[in-house]
Order: sequence, then structure tokens, then C-alpha cells
Amino acid sequence: MHDHRTYPPGDLAIWIFILAELLVFAIFFAAYAFTRVGHVELFNTYQQTLDTNAALANTLALITSSYFVMRAVAAIREDNIKHCVRWLIAAIVMGLLFLLIKSAEYAQHYSHGINLRTNIFYMFYLSLTFFHFMHVIMGMVILASVAFMARRGKYSAADHTGVHTGASYWHMVDMVWLILFPLVYVMR
Amino acid sequence: MNFALTSLRPCTRVYVILMALTLATWLIGQSDLTGIAIALLVLMFAMLKGLLIGDYFMGLKGLRSLWRWAVIVWLVIPGGLISWAFVISV
Repeated sequence: MHDHRTYPPGDLAIWIFILAELLVFAIFFAAYAFTRVGHVELFNTYQQTLDTNAALANTLALITSSYFVMRAVAAIREDNIKHCVRWLIAAIVMGLLFLLIKSAEYAQHYSHGINLRTNIFYMFYLSLTFFHFMHVIMGMVILASVAFMARRGKYSAADHTGVHTGASYWHMVDMVWLILFPLVYVMR
Repeated sequence: MNFALTSLRPCTRVYVILMALTLATWLIGQSDLTGIAIALLVLMFAMLKGLLIGDYFMGLKGLRSLWRWAVIVWLVIPGGLISWAFVISV
């Protein structure tokens, strides 16, 4: 058991993984921004074709899911396993909503013949968002595992490192989207 | 019903602020507001949101270690690079 004043909540291994993932996304974001320097008009033009309403809904869904995960952690701290599981399920439902909205966006793009080869803006937009999409799926699998273990009584107020571990990963996924949304959909 | 922000749990307060900043970002996107100052304002909102997630949701606030700074550095350095890229693209 490590000192929580020095170490972040959850397993240290997940934090190393989180920092590695954040590094990859940071490089991706910087690559997008600097590539845009040479193609400003193209980026501004095709950014206008994106669905900012869908992106707003996705952002609200992910922030809400992170809030629900926070409530799950608060519940297990009070030894309330039932509420912990319910909040985790609610968070997973919000994650599913995110995936459905994003999939609908992809379907719309595909129907218009847009793909990775269309132009450099779409290459970045599709690869960045799809890379994040995969992380959302992974995050949902982790949360589902945590919910399953919690339901089986594996966690308690005295020992809930696993809940913190899953929560930390999910908040990372949310944090990345909070940068991606304005960068790709709004900033021009 | 008294809906003072201060009467809510801290994490709920942060949630409300995150939603408000997101709506502000979306409204800017919907408007005719463009230009480097607006772009940087939107980026600042994003970085603030990231900091709030790190401090209050991830539980890093008050942590006396490099772990909290690692997340702050992640927000500041890419944020700085993105800002620089947008400034030089004008």
C-alpha cells in the first residue's frame, strides 16, 4: 500500500500507462497543429464540415461519465457497493452514448465518400478521433470489469485500489477529448 | 430550491463548471468569432478543464509529487505548442 499523499490514487502501473498515452496524444495534437500551419485554408474549410453539435453531445457525455465515475469512487469509499456499481454502469452507458454518436458521425462521413485519403485534414480528424474511440472502448471494458468485481464484493472502503485504477484511466480518456474537441472542431 | 454553486459537493461543482466551459466553447464554435485571440481563449478553456479533471476527478490536487506535475506539464507543453502553431499560422 503506497502513500497516497505522494502517489496518485490507483495502481502505479496504470499511471505509467496513462502518462505514456497522454504523451502519444500530445504528439498527435502537436502534429495536427503544426501541419495546419502549412494548410490553414484547407483546415478551416473542412473543419466547417464537422458536426459540432455531435461533438458537443459527445463532450457532455464524456464529462458526465467522468462525473459518474467520481460518484462511484465516492460510493465505494463509504462502503456502498450497490451505489458504486450503479454509478459505474451509468458511466458505461454514457460511454456507449459517445460511441453511438461518434459512429453516426463516421457513417455520415463514409456516406459522403470521406476517408483517410480525402485530404490531410480528414486524415488527421479521422485518425485522431478513431484512436480516441478505441481508448473509449478500452475504458469501457475496464469500467465494466471494475463494476463486475465490485458486484462480487472484491472492493470495500478499506481496499478499492482497483476502482481508483479504472477511474484514473477513464478520466484520462475524458481529458484527451477535452483537448481534441476544441482543437479539431472549434479552433480556427 | 437554492442552487448556489457553493452548496454542491466539490466534484459536482467542478462538473457544473466543466459543462459550462464546454457550452461556452461550443457557442464560440457556432458563432462568427474567429481569429487567434478566440482560438487561444478556447484552448485556455480546454486546458482549464483538463486541470480540473486532473485535480478533482483524478484526485491529484494537493499531491506533493511529480505525478501531479506530469499532468500539468502535459497540459502546458502541448498547449504551448498548439498556441505557437496557431500564432505562426496567422
